[in-house]
Amino acid sequence: MLPASGLSLSRRQFAGAMGAAAGTAAVAGCSSGSSKDMDTLQVWGGIPAESGPQAVIDRFQEEHPGTHVTYTRYVNDDRGNLTVNTALQGGVDIDVFFTYGVPNLTMRTNSGLAADVGDLVRATPELEAFLDTEDPKALIDGDEITALATTRIPQMVLFNEDLRERAGIELPTQWTVEEYLEVIRALADDGKYGTYVLPDIARIELGPNYRFTKDGNSNFSHPAFLKHFELAAELIRDGVLYPWSQALARQLEAYQQNNFIAQDFGLWTTAPYSLRFLTDQENYPHDFKVACAPVPTLDGNDWNTGEYGAFLQINSKSPKQDLAWEFCKFWLLESAQDVVKAGYISLLGDVGDDELLDGILGEGAEEFFDVDSFRRTLFEDQPRMHLDTELTAYTEITQKYQQQRDVCWLLERTPQKAIENVDSNAQALIDRFEED
Amino acid sequence: MAIVDTRIETADGPAAAAGGRLRRPTGRAPSEPKAYVGWLFIAPNLLGVLAFTFVPLISVVLLSFTRWNLVSGFGGIEFVGLDNFLAVFQDPTFWRSLVTTIVYAGVAVPLTLVVGLALALALNRDIPARGLLRAAFFVPYIVNIVAIGMTWQMLLDPEAGLVNQVLGVFGAENLPQWFASSNWALPALILVTIWSQAGYANLIYLSALQDAPTQLYEAARIDGAGRWASFRTITWPSLLPTTVFLLVTLFVGISQTFGMIALITNGGPGDSTTTLSFYMYQTSFQFYRFGYASAVGLVTFIGIFAIMLLMWRAQRGRALHD
Amino acid sequence: MTDATTTATTTTASTTTTTAGGGPGRGTGMAQRQALRKRRDRVRRWAWGIPMWILALVFLLPFAWMISTSLKPDLEAFRIPMQWIPHQPRWENYTEVLFGESSILIPFGNSVFVAALRVLGELTTATLAGYAFAKLRFPGRGKVFIAYLATSLIPAQLLLVPRFVYFEKLGLYDTLWALILPGMFTVLGTFLMRQYFVSQPDEFAEAARLDGANELQIFFRIYLPNALSMISALAILTFVWSWNDYETPLVFLSTPENYTLPMGLTSFTDENGAMAAGLSMAASVISIVPILLVFLIFQRRFVRAMTESALK
Repeated sequence: MLPASGLSLSRRQFAGAMGAAAGTAAVAGCSSGSSKDMDTLQVWGGIPAESGPQAVIDRFQEEHPGTHVTYTRYVNDDRGNLTVNTALQGGVDIDVFFTYGVPNLTMRTNSGLAADVGDLVRATPELEAFLDTEDPKALIDGDEITALATTRIPQMVLFNEDLRERAGIELPTQWTVEEYLEVIRALADDGKYGTYVLPDIARIELGPNYRFTKDGNSNFSHPAFLKHFELAAELIRDGVLYPWSQALARQLEAYQQNNFIAQDFGLWTTAPYSLRFLTDQENYPHDFKVACAPVPTLDGNDWNTGEYGAFLQINSKSPKQDLAWEFCKFWLLESAQDVVKAGYISLLGDVGDDELLDGILGEGAEEFFDVDSFRRTLFEDQPRMHLDTELTAYTEITQKYQQQRDVCWLLERTPQKAIENVDSNAQALIDRFEED
Repeated sequence: MAIVDTRIETADGPAAAAGGRLRRPTGRAPSEPKAYVGWLFIAPNLLGVLAFTFVPLISVVLLSFTRWNLVSGFGGIEFVGLDNFLAVFQDPTFWRSLVTTIVYAGVAVPLTLVVGLALALALNRDIPARGLLRAAFFVPYIVNIVAIGMTWQMLLDPEAGLVNQVLGVFGAENLPQWFASSNWALPALILVTIWSQAGYANLIYLSALQDAPTQLYEAARIDGAGRWASFRTITWPSLLPTTVFLLVTLFVGISQTFGMIALITNGGPGDSTTTLSFYMYQTSFQFYRFGYASAVGLVTFIGIFAIMLLMWRAQRGRALHD
Repeated sequence: MTDATTTATTTTASTTTTTAGGGPGRGTGMAQRQALRKRRDRVRRWAWGIPMWILALVFLLPFAWMISTSLKPDLEAFRIPMQWIPHQPRWENYTEVLFGESSILIPFGNSVFVAALRVLGELTTATLAGYAFAKLRFPGRGKVFIAYLATSLIPAQLLLVPRFVYFEKLGLYDTLWALILPGMFTVLGTFLMRQYFVSQPDEFAEAARLDGANELQIFFRIYLPNALSMISALAILTFVWSWNDYETPLVFLSTPENYTLPMGLTSFTDENGAMAAGLSMAASVISIVPILLVFLIFQRRFVRAMTESALK
């Protein structure tokens, strides 16, 4: 039975492959022949269809009778992005795709995979925000615009209210790093840790492009980086921060929700997309309330450690540019109510803050969240976001930084030595890849 | 090499006939088949290897002189001469990965071989439920890499993992931190590698043992040879081609380990588990520097090839000498 | 732990040799000696069996953990301290994995298809070529074989990129044939069979040639039937390589309908990190079943091959 199903499937694939070999320009990805239909749009994105995209697509199809949109979900990690890159390069039928993270963005753009939508943006008054070059929300190169951010991903500090009240701490509405440190030291008690990891202090102080000096050299000799490493190492040694050895052994870097739910630490710096775990009482049962505070400030510097993200791009090889643009416009302006359930706050769109808040915090919000604190932090305070545009050897430098951070926070190497290594490695990479 | 002398030793015994037979494994037959017959036999495989390995290899050589990120298509290929190769030799990560690879394969390959052989010898005996036992030792080899990664991460958790709990019961102090330490991550990786690969060596050795000349054992037994003597003079020599095969395949397989590293340590902590193959994957599929990755791969390939060639020469020299 | 396992196994190995050292008394009569051996063998069966079983259990411990995890809800999987027996076995994990939203049935079918064709192709081309390298003399044999060995040393990661480009041009990108075709002609399989045939005597061929048999007949009638256990081993190995291959589909497949099992399995963990441990372990356990079956079937083949040769 099983081999038979495999066989029939693959016979179809084989036929598809032979067709392509016979000279068809695009390999249809062996999906059904209808995908070449001019009224069918292929969209690839990282959010699971049921968390919003499908709802957006359904409404789009309603407004544009006769068109059909197929959404393919990919996972936004190295592997998933590789799939997208090879698919785009391999001529798989994709019309619109989402890109996450600036390194992927520049690579796809520089390789000519993304169509220029500059004129289209300028012709649409509602999209004016994307023309701002001071606080960029799009990938702009002269007149050319090749990617448009769909969401802002502000970071925020979540409090476990039980633990906060037990430690007798007041919920901050604005605070400095110094105050933040006092709070986590107070929370670290009784087998609990203060928090999982420090917010990136260097980012708070330096904002966008913080890895580079003005003339494009490595900026890691800036004292803010050393301070970040030193503070963290000291707090790990004191048992205030979650032990890095356990963070590594359990691969917590990407997902810390389990430990927050299990009340391992009282305070968690994260972004709204993590709220989907806290609204899911079935899979993540917990009985404490959660409140929200802003990222602390340092010496009057108040850069939020979050950024603009989820960039929309149109495949330059797509034969359906007009329809693709219609779809992008629809997504940018009318998807807010649908994607908010997955914790994504749309950059544009005419949905009110309260409606967004309801979307993020789910039903019965009052029972599990201090709703006012979320409104204040995420909407009223207008967190100051950033977008890195200086990208020489970006991925490599990130990796070097993480390697040194790990051995430093495992307390195997001094912060001084670790940051020196980052600095020299980064400079070497910049020297080597500068002209890219 | 050992083949030659053991055979001469046993030649006096009752095993002489069989031993003599083995002495000329590739000897000239009385009526030689025509030369093209051999080529016809290897043709299906050879054509496939040429198409799917050799041709790509040539492209790699060409790629290694370029700067290319794959995503940009052929139009984005930029010729840079020997730059990539010069960069490889100046790249500290390359050299550290080389050392890591040598330590990793150098320890894991022989240990896997020994464990596999010991298991095979034990399982080749008449013991209850032997078939099931064989399957049991084979299971780790067939477990999906994703599951291996998750499971061993739990078992080797520094605080709560089973391994450290057992060590703690025995009163061990300063328990190893395994994957959470740049000193212990590589040993931990070696441990998991042996666990998962021993079943493979075991299987191959078992098959070889079953094809081993049983008459010889009878003969040796009648001759009064002990088990150790018959292992040394009959079993081991008959296992030599298998051992060579295992050495090469295990070395190739283990030095190219990728999934386990990617899923458990991602090359860290620091770069303590970044092997050459993982570094190659990183440079190509994380950093998208395909030209450079090709150069790293070619230098590695040439290095391994040179070592193998030297070993081959040395072995042939010794064989001739004997 | 490394040390523990290896010493455990090496001790067993050395015990073999010491107990074996005694050997049967010399010069005793055939019947007497056999009776003695039979009695001693019975004791030994168990003296050997029990430690081997204990060792096997140690080897299987991680697997037991997998099964245990596969029956847990996600949150419980990573609870510390470890729990071997789930509070309430969650069999839904299995139904979810099989029939749920991201069912592994399609990847499963794809994997079966790929593995079957790879095994077929590999067995055909590798036995022919391995036999030729071992038993047929032809000009250039040595050089081609060295070239083969050299090819096997090429790091796999090195060929991914050019193969990708190549398959794209051939229209094989994102089809299962991108996995099947290179897997049908491997150097390692040829090497394995060559090593095996080298250890086989030449006399059979010489005798058969004198009787006027042609080379194909010699190969199919004489050497191939004798090589069944090694061929079974190659079949099992090829199946495993194909079944667990993780890098190739990663680069060559992009649409989920074409995914093979390893890609299907990672899809459970990708979503929320290690959170989907229960589901992905359930899927892993299911994915092991076919290989175990293949192994057990071919193992029977081993045993038969062995008894056949004993009867000769």
